[in-house]
This record gives sequence, structure tokens and C-alpha cells, in this order.
Amino acid sequence: MSAKKQSVLANVRELPSNLWHSIFRNPLPHNDVERSATSFTNFFLHIHPVKVNKNTLRPIYTMGLGLMSFFLFVILVVSGILLMFYYVPSTEQAYDRMLDLRGSVAFGTFLRNMHRWAAHGMVAVVFFHMCRVFFTGAYKRPREFNWVLGVVLLLITLFLSFTGYLLPWDQLAFWAITVGTAIAGYAPLIGKQIRFLLLGDASVGQEALLRFYVLHVALLPAIATLLIAIHFWRIRKDGGLSRPARAEGKPELSISVQAVELDPKRTYGLQGLVRGPLVKVGNVPENSVYSWPNLLIAELFALVVTLAIILIVSLLFNAPLEEPVNVMHPPNPAKAPWYFLGLQEMVSYSAFWGGVGVPGLFVLLLILTPYLDRSPGGVGLWFSRKRLLANTVFLTFVIVNIAFIVIGTFFRGPNWSFVTPW
Amino acid sequence: MGLNPRRDAGTDSDDRASRRRLLGWLSGVGLFGSGILSAFSNFVFIKPRATYGAPQRFTAGKPSDYPDGTRVALEPRRVCIVRDGNKLAAISTTCTHLGCIVGLSETGFACPCHGSRYDQDGTVTGGPAPKPLAWYKVSLAPNGELEIDKDVEVNPGTYLNV
Repeated sequence: MSAKKQSVLANVRELPSNLWHSIFRNPLPHNDVERSATSFTNFFLHIHPVKVNKNTLRPIYTMGLGLMSFFLFVILVVSGILLMFYYVPSTEQAYDRMLDLRGSVAFGTFLRNMHRWAAHGMVAVVFFHMCRVFFTGAYKRPREFNWVLGVVLLLITLFLSFTGYLLPWDQLAFWAITVGTAIAGYAPLIGKQIRFLLLGDASVGQEALLRFYVLHVALLPAIATLLIAIHFWRIRKDGGLSRPARAEGKPELSISVQAVELDPKRTYGLQGLVRGPLVKVGNVPENSVYSWPNLLIAELFALVVTLAIILIVSLLFNAPLEEPVNVMHPPNPAKAPWYFLGLQEMVSYSAFWGGVGVPGLFVLLLILTPYLDRSPGGVGLWFSRKRLLANTVFLTFVIVNIAFIVIGTFFRGPNWSFVTPW
Repeated sequence: MGLNPRRDAGTDSDDRASRRRLLGWLSGVGLFGSGILSAFSNFVFIKPRATYGAPQRFTAGKPSDYPDGTRVALEPRRVCIVRDGNKLAAISTTCTHLGCIVGLSETGFACPCHGSRYDQDGTVTGGPAPKPLAWYKVSLAPNGELEIDKDVEVNPGTYLNV
């Protein structure tokens, strides 16, 4: 380029387009090279591969559940930050602030509804996402550790819900947390200490409210954000979303570098170290399409659906708020949030086994699943016949969990005695 | 991967290599140790030394405030004062199952949360409660008032004679 002198006026005239091009290096793509470049150079798009397998985009395969969990998390972060402007974590003020949100804050009710329903939704969707991953065998090699991260994220989701549950400081909140932290106290050896650390006192009070608030708005979201980032990053490093194995005899075209021996004394560029699927000119992975716009549209669709559902539900239904805390009178029956009612139902048989032993065993089995089930068959298909045993075991686990939740929700009345809802 | 070509090329003398090894070990132990120490200090930090809750020892009026046959729950204190003839006792109303407050029932105590039931002396008669309700130490303060200490549990059936 020749250093041609331009008048300042001309610079000013070109400023808008220069500014635009300095932000977005590429124009909207019109051919495949530009589509690749767009995915490469945009910060928000570069977590995508340039090309994505068609199987990944089949709505019936993923049902967009992972994305929906993420979008619900985003909605929760945004609405949560907004609610923080008005909330005070004090036993004196917390409940009044809830009433203020309902009465005098613009969009207060609506934001609280969004936060509450997105929280309920996230617990459910994360659970369904886990079911999807299991029933399609997607946790198998090489995705074992991403499954483990997923289980940890499920636990964090539950803990986030649990800590948020106390903040309105109404009767429901107080007694659910009293019961919930008492369950933690049943853990062997360190149970009492955990309970004391959580509550910061002998019983639920100001200290507990402050601690739960800090966990809920700072510590847990930070951990969740970090783990979500690793969870996403690993999807690509583990070779994209799971998909059915290719027909036998056909070589996996996309994997090419692995055959080359790496010499430990030489220095390699990035391409020499990447061992996963590579996109190379004339050696394109089969059955794939460009991420721009195919994957992007799919993601946008999931976002719009998630947002629409949350908005509609928040317009139609108000988040419950019960009487202010009365430490003398537990409601009868005192029930935990619905996703913990299965736990509470089990706890009504035995506090240790129902609250700590069996759930602990469940979580351990979940985490170990990909290391116990090493057979490579049936990946990428819903309810593959090759995975009949594993799927049956997991389905039983799911049904038992849901059954306990249904019993706890609808069939338990005063004094936790059995009632029929009709 | 050739991140450190000098070491890979083997130009270091054994002397230099072993010193580097030692320094590497020391740094590793130092960093790891500091990590453990700070993690531990964090737990020490978040464990409160003093709590702000209600005191565990309190007075509860004169014995004459509780006539024979009284069974009255002091709800904010979470104890139930029982008087049987000249004998007085304080029984906890915190359910031993999961910490709900038990209510007085005709047969003793009943928990609204998970259906635990206790008899008049706090012995478990049904439900998931793992152990009987605690009995607390009751004594007479110099001014003649009852003093209940929730930090001291006594055997069930231990009464104060007044």
C-alpha cells in the first residue's frame, strides 16, 4: 500500500466504515472461505468449529437441552444481577424487600418470576440433558470426563437453587433450609462441621442468610461459569458432539495427523499437535455443514424458545411468597422445593440413608458411569439395543427418582402422613 | 515438545541439572504447601469464633409459675417445661430427626415435618427420629428463678425437686 496522504475530511468521511471494519474483520460471508473466516475471527463464534457434523444439528438427537441449560443460566445471571440492586440479605429486611419487589419496583414481580421459573427450569432441563446424554451413550470414551463435569454441574445447579431458596426469608424458605441443613448434619464424621460452616451458627438465622447469599450470588456462579466454560471447551477437544459410529470399512477421513509419528526433539506448529478431527482442503469431514449459518441458527432457535417459554410463564404465573418467617411454627407439612421432595420423602424413612447414604451412592455411581461401562457400542443412537442393560438401569433410576418426587409432592399431607390428592 | 531446548540437548552439567532439580522440587513443595495452607486458612476464616444467636443458658421464671401437671412449650427457647408434682424438667422441642420444632400432642410430642412421634418423656414412639428428645439441666438460680442450660444434656428422667 502506498502511503497516500488523505485529507482529514476524507478520514472523517470514512470513519464509520473504518470503525465497522476494525471491529468486524469480515463482511457477512457469501462463500465458504468467508464462512470459515467468520467463525475463526469472531470472539463469540470462535468456540464453534468451522464445520459441524449434520448429526449434531438433528433436533431430535440433542433436543437442544444443553444449550437450553446454558441459556437458562444466562437468564438467571442477568435477572439475578438486577434483583441484587434491591435485595438486602438481612433477616430484618429481606422479606420486606420481597414485598417491595412486588409492590413498588418497576418490573419487580416480573423479574422475580423470571428468576424463580428459570431456576426451576434449569434444574429440570439439566436433569433432562443428563438423561439425553445417557440414553444416547454420549458419555463414552473419549467423553468420560465431560460427563463427570456434567454431574458436578448438576450438583452445583441444585446447590445454587438450594442457596437461593433461603433468600426470600419466608416460611417456606426458612423451614426448607432448616430441614436441608439438618440432612447435611447427618453426613458421617464431618456432617456437624459442614452444617456449622454453612449456617455460621447453631441454627438458621442472620449468619446463615448472609452465607447463603454470598454462596448464591458470588461463589457458586463463579464456579459454575468456570465449569461451564470447560464443559464447552471439552466438547470440541473431545471431537464434537457424539454421533453414530461410521459404517465399517470406511476410514475416518477427517482424522489424518494421528498417523504421523511425533518426534519429541522437533518443534511443531499447532497443526502438528492437534490429534482430533482436522479440516483440511480436499479432505473434508463427511456429512458436515458450515457452522455459519447452520449451527448458529440452531442455537438462536434454542435461545428464542427458552426465552419465550420463560417470558410467557413469568407473565402468567407469579413466584410464590409465603408468610414471613416464624421460627416458632413450622408449616405443616414443611416441604422442600419440588426437586428435593424425593430426597425429603426418602429422609422420612431414614435420615442417614435417605439424606446422605443413598443420594451419595447415586452421585458416586453417576460419576463412575463412564468408567464402569467401557463397551464402545451404541454411541450416538437413542436407546440403542446394544445398551439395553445400561439404559434399563438408568431408566429405573430416573423413574424411581421421579416417583419419589411425585409421592413427596402430591401424596404427603400434615405430619408427612400419606394422603391422596383427589 | 521442545519447550526447553537447552535441557533436551543435554548441554547442562550434572551439577547444574541436580541443582535445578532441587530448586524445582523446593518451588513445587513451596507452592503446593502454600496452596494447602491458604485453603485451610479459608476454612478457619469462615468458621465463626463467636456466634450471634440466642444464648444457650437462660432463666425461665419461678417454679410457682408452673403448677402441677404443667406441660408448656417456651417456643422461642425451644424447650418444654414439664412439672409433675414437685419435680420439674426441661425437654427439648427440637426434633432429633431434622431440626423442626415438635408440637405438644395428647400422647407427648409430634413433629410436623416428617411425622416423628414422641411420648410424654420424649422417647421415640414412631416416625424417622433416631433418638429421644434431649433433656436439659435445670437448676435454681440464687434469686429463686429456674435456670435452664441447653449446653448441658441430662439423662431423661432427671428432675429438679422444688
